[in-house]
Amino acid sequence: MTPSDGESVAAAARAHELTKVYGSGDASVRALDGVSVEFPRGQFAAVMGPSGSGKSTLMHCMAGLDVATSGQAFIGDQDLGALNDAALTQLRRDRIGFIFQAFNLIPTLTAKENITLSADLAGTTIDAAWFELLVGQLKIRDRLSHRPSELSGGQQQRIACARALVGRPDLIFADEPTGNLDSNSSAEVLTFLRTAATEHQQSIVMVTHDPRAAAYADRVVFLADGRVVDELLEPTADGVLEEMRKLGG
Amino acid sequence: MLRVTLKGLLARKLRLALTALAIIVGVTFVTGTLVLGDTLNRTFNSLVGTVYQHVSFEIRGDAEFTEKGGGGVDSTANRKPVPQHLIAAVRALPGVQFAYGSVTGYAQIVTPDGRAVGSSQGSLGFSFDPNRQLSALHLATGRAPSNADQVVIDKATANKYHFKIGDKVRMLLAGPTRTFTITGIVTFGSDDNLVGATLAAFDLPTAQRLFGSVGHYDTINVLAKPGADNVALENQIRKVLPGGVQVLSGQQIANQLSSSISQALGFLTALLLIFAFISLLVGGFTIFNTFSITVGQRTRELALLRVVGASRRQVFRSVLTEAALTGLIASIIGLGLGVLAAVGLRALLSAFGVTLPSAPLVFEARTPIVAIVVGVGVTLLSAIMPARKAVRIPPVAALTAHIEDRTTMSWERRSGGLGLTVLGALLIISGVARAKIGAVGVGALLLFIAAALLLPLLAGPLSGAIGRPLAAMLGMPGRLGRENSLRNPHRTAQTAAALMIGIALVSTITVLGSSLSESTTDSIDNAIKADYLITSSNVSNNVAQIAGAIHGVGTITKIYHGQFETDGSVQTLVAATPRQLSQTVSLNTTAGQEVQALVAGELLIDTTTARSDHLAVGSVINATFANTGPTTLRVGGIFKPNTLVGSYVVGDAYFRAHFDNPLPDTLLIRSAPGAGDLEMTLKQALTAYPNLNIRTRKQFEQNEQSQVNALLGLVYVLLALAVMVALIGIVNTLMLSVFERTREIGLLRAVGMTRPQVKRMIRAESVVIAVFGAVVGVVIGTALGAALAGSLRNNGVTDVSIPFARLILFLIIAALLGLGAATWPARRAARLDVLQAIATD
Repeated sequence: MTPSDGESVAAAARAHELTKVYGSGDASVRALDGVSVEFPRGQFAAVMGPSGSGKSTLMHCMAGLDVATSGQAFIGDQDLGALNDAALTQLRRDRIGFIFQAFNLIPTLTAKENITLSADLAGTTIDAAWFELLVGQLKIRDRLSHRPSELSGGQQQRIACARALVGRPDLIFADEPTGNLDSNSSAEVLTFLRTAATEHQQSIVMVTHDPRAAAYADRVVFLADGRVVDELLEPTADGVLEEMRKLGG
Repeated sequence: MLRVTLKGLLARKLRLALTALAIIVGVTFVTGTLVLGDTLNRTFNSLVGTVYQHVSFEIRGDAEFTEKGGGGVDSTANRKPVPQHLIAAVRALPGVQFAYGSVTGYAQIVTPDGRAVGSSQGSLGFSFDPNRQLSALHLATGRAPSNADQVVIDKATANKYHFKIGDKVRMLLAGPTRTFTITGIVTFGSDDNLVGATLAAFDLPTAQRLFGSVGHYDTINVLAKPGADNVALENQIRKVLPGGVQVLSGQQIANQLSSSISQALGFLTALLLIFAFISLLVGGFTIFNTFSITVGQRTRELALLRVVGASRRQVFRSVLTEAALTGLIASIIGLGLGVLAAVGLRALLSAFGVTLPSAPLVFEARTPIVAIVVGVGVTLLSAIMPARKAVRIPPVAALTAHIEDRTTMSWERRSGGLGLTVLGALLIISGVARAKIGAVGVGALLLFIAAALLLPLLAGPLSGAIGRPLAAMLGMPGRLGRENSLRNPHRTAQTAAALMIGIALVSTITVLGSSLSESTTDSIDNAIKADYLITSSNVSNNVAQIAGAIHGVGTITKIYHGQFETDGSVQTLVAATPRQLSQTVSLNTTAGQEVQALVAGELLIDTTTARSDHLAVGSVINATFANTGPTTLRVGGIFKPNTLVGSYVVGDAYFRAHFDNPLPDTLLIRSAPGAGDLEMTLKQALTAYPNLNIRTRKQFEQNEQSQVNALLGLVYVLLALAVMVALIGIVNTLMLSVFERTREIGLLRAVGMTRPQVKRMIRAESVVIAVFGAVVGVVIGTALGAALAGSLRNNGVTDVSIPFARLILFLIIAALLGLGAATWPARRAARLDVLQAIATD
């Protein structure tokens, strides 16, 4: 069941006229300027744009990490603006997965504990079969008892992928997940995310500035100066690069 | 470079404040102690000045020896009396304008509702000298006493109990209680009483009768004629005096008194300074820790300074300058607060029964110097090691990513710590074995240093064990808190070390106190068989007669205490009535016959003294009494150590012959066979003597225990400051850790950790650190307390008792204090801006 089947499904996440202004008066900066965008279920979307285009701010506002100045952000049917900090925290814990560029793992916990962190914080248990499947696919089974400091950068990001997926979140936000990785490790992580979207209908929004990474996605949304300026479906690295060049990134 | 340092300091105001707080507490304590000491000194000295302002000469009996420990105020009881007839010869001298003989003694005022005013030590009786220049007692209103039924009393007592001129007042005396008519109210100089003591003055012949000084005086005060040659006059006076009587100028007497007062106060000040020192030591640990962490955190910044051309020396100076400025600011604040602390200390001491006069505070020039030198010194010393660490940061560190501080334990530290442990343990063991408290003390100090050195080794396993139940209880936040405390054992150990020292001292004192208390009970049970004890520093001679007449009272033994000198050292001498002594006291005699010996005027000694001085029955020792001079005493018996009677015992007849009008301080009463409970009967029969404490043996034991506990309470309060400083250290470390882990906390919040869970995580870490320090402290403290108690076994501490319940209570309190210390850091961590924390740079 994918959106391409034409069925009417609620979006995994959407933004409506989302505006974010930092500072006030003359010094104010409009990081987001009325962004409306929808991320359908099961889609692997990439958000691209030059530095300062507002792509990270968009992700933060849509993931409940930051509060928009005006407009609305939804996860499923839930309006994030209606939630207080505790409810937002719970929403992130239960319905959103995160993969950051670096500092993804808690250094005092083992790889396995890092994967199950959200469930442990919620006091729930994870789906053991699903966990096994993920661990197998990510080839990290023999690394589970290690601490992050004993793992390579690629291994660390794969652990982070497992953590993001293990709770079957409505949506995964990935912020430059391959930004610190070599090309082999990058390919492994991106292939895994592609597979997760294809095989398990996992909705993913990935912020990146790397056209090759964006090429793994179903769709690329381009941002410039806090607005959605364009988008590409079924992107290729060259197509993305061409678009970026147009935007002056 | 100074500007960089200053800007850095201002940018880290919070940390500066926390670091400074650790020093402020110590400096406040030091300042408070010094100010209090100086104030008391000034107060007492101005009193001495009041008394001897106009006295040209004082004539008094020689003292054979001076009392042990300075004794505060010079006691006339230990001087030979001055024959009364001498005054005529003195008055006949041409340069003498006036001479007046005076006597002092015990006279305690009884309130109209039958209660004794003040304590018996603080109830001074005088002969009233009407000469305003010679006497410090000045009539405020009324007339001087002029016959045997009249008295003047101090203004403070009169005001407090509403005594008026013409009222009748009952007085407790060495002899029978008597009622007098108040003819006047007096002040002492310009004060309403003598630093809290009550005053009662009688006319001279009455005072001589009441104080057992008929035919002699304690002193003769002389006022020289204006313009008289004082040196010549002193020589003339000396010529008319017989042997055993001396003359001193008023100035000399005042100086002597002042120096003995300073000595006594010096002891109090030294005691308080020890606790101030402990607070500073703990503060030093906190500073050391703070600077270590911040140097670690500022690795990049310091390396950047090196890159742009700062020399090693400049970096070193920069860190030390920061320390010096922090220390200076803290010292100045502590100095200001110290003045308040002096008032607080005075209130604290008086709450625990040490009454001190209240007077305007004295701020000597030396106080700020000492406070600032000590405050800045401790801060600088504590910062030297971290500064050296800062110097070793290579410039290249500016370019590499932040590396977490992973200090490993150096070989030197490990072996040094182990060496000191072994040395300390050996000293303590040998100290206990030979009953030498000095060796135990030095061993304890070594052990403390060793523990501080080795604490990082224990931090891993112990914190892990302490954190496990917490992790189980609190889930993931608890687990993370535990892991965080394990992350850098050095930091955890250094933070916990401060608390360890505080808790160890508290535990030592607790075990010592508990052992003392237990020993007291045991020794009372072993030492006396009396059913009732009547105690007071002055038990009138009539009391024994009244009690003896009560039906059911079997044996009464009077106990006296005094001092004498033997072989150059001043010792306490106890006297007891020999008749039926075995009914009230259990003297386990190992040689000789105690009753016969006492009746014969011989000395009984305990086995400890016999062993150390190589004495046996038949040995003769030299003894010097203040009143009667040198003599010899034959040892007539040896008994097993008995805390109640001490080491030297004589019969009461012998004692009375060598002391000037002594009063017993304790009556031991044994019921006759078949007699019922006599407590109420005794109390009713002795209502005329409200100064007496009439207790059953059980009550007496409880009272002794409560005295030990009161002392413990005072020490707890003084040590509480050190514990407080240690808590500031925990707050400081946690704040720095939260700051250091901003990213990590941000990640946790992003993936779903709620704010309460963040707080729980920080609190768990804090509790682990606090309990870790407390556990090590309690273990070390208990061992030391037991060792100290063991080494005091010849000084009356016969039992070593470990109060487990109370020690466990300390651990619980430490856990709660840890929770409290985490409040602020936890709030700060929970409020961290998630976005800022995870923003990629």
